[in-house]
Amino acid sequence: MKINVMQDVLQANDRIAEENRQLFEEKHNLVLNLMSSPGAGKTSLLERTAERVAGKLRLGVIVGDIETTRDADRIGKFNIPAIQLTTGTACHLDANMVASALPHLKLDNIDILVVENVGNLVCPAEFIVGEDYKIMILSVTEGDEKPLKYPLMFRESALMLINKIDLLQYTNFSLKEARANALKINPDIDIIEISCTNGAGLDEWVSWLTAKHRDKTGGAGHA
Amino acid sequence: MHEMGIAQNILDIALSAAGKEGASKITRINLVAGELRGIVPLQLTFCFGLVSKDTIAGGAYLNIDEVPVSGHCDGCNSDFSIKEYEYVCPKCGSTKIQLIGGTELSIKDIEIE
Repeated sequence: MKINVMQDVLQANDRIAEENRQLFEEKHNLVLNLMSSPGAGKTSLLERTAERVAGKLRLGVIVGDIETTRDADRIGKFNIPAIQLTTGTACHLDANMVASALPHLKLDNIDILVVENVGNLVCPAEFIVGEDYKIMILSVTEGDEKPLKYPLMFRESALMLINKIDLLQYTNFSLKEARANALKINPDIDIIEISCTNGAGLDEWVSWLTAKHRDKTGGAGHA
Repeated sequence: MHEMGIAQNILDIALSAAGKEGASKITRINLVAGELRGIVPLQLTFCFGLVSKDTIAGGAYLNIDEVPVSGHCDGCNSDFSIKEYEYVCPKCGSTKIQLIGGTELSIKDIEIE
């Protein structure tokens, strides 16, 4: 006997993501789901961002890693609440894992919550966690063809940060190619070139972040 | 690697649907998977075999219908298939495109005994 089901496979995840989203709405948190390959510079970006927004915007971070609390330790040094989720074998954070971290954060005291996903260009793009935007980092040491190889993440992201541009001269990475490839997959994607080492482009990134926070809260911070 | 989580979700949904019908066995699950979801059928089938082993879905055939990416152009109102991730309307060259296929991931129906 055949029975009709017609049910989205990730509906359980999406339902929890919606609950997270409603909570973030209530608490006026701008939430970003930050994704990249391992070693592209997610934690470095958060460190540099913390320095630049200190006293203006209050950050909070949920970090996903397969093992260790090193990233949360790095971020914690900036007096930012950081919750580490060790995912064991899971290659991504899902809505339920993020929900489990929320009781440990004082969301009322956070303007921007960054969910630093597990380093991986494939799986994290599949699971919404309740974020306002997915954003991603592509570093120049990875290669400019990555948007074509891993299209879903580039398609889903509102912003692509191209990191490590201070290393451009040592690689065959073409900024022009990388931009063209990403825009082909996602014509609406914003692109900012940065270096977390020498600080290039970080002011532009902070402007992007500030503008998105303003859009979400109507300029009314709750500091 | 996300296939394991997806396999578990498929199993949960199928078991719940079969339970409502009082089924003793699930013999087939028909899944629709958009190309953009990046599902590797062989891997998903393997993972599903592992998670379903000791349930009434153990041994069920997981049929995966892959859906190619397709789009609708807002500019000239035409539908077309998208190959090699060219998000450009082949008729008018517009990039204002809505995806109409390729992102789905759902269970269509199941066969039970």
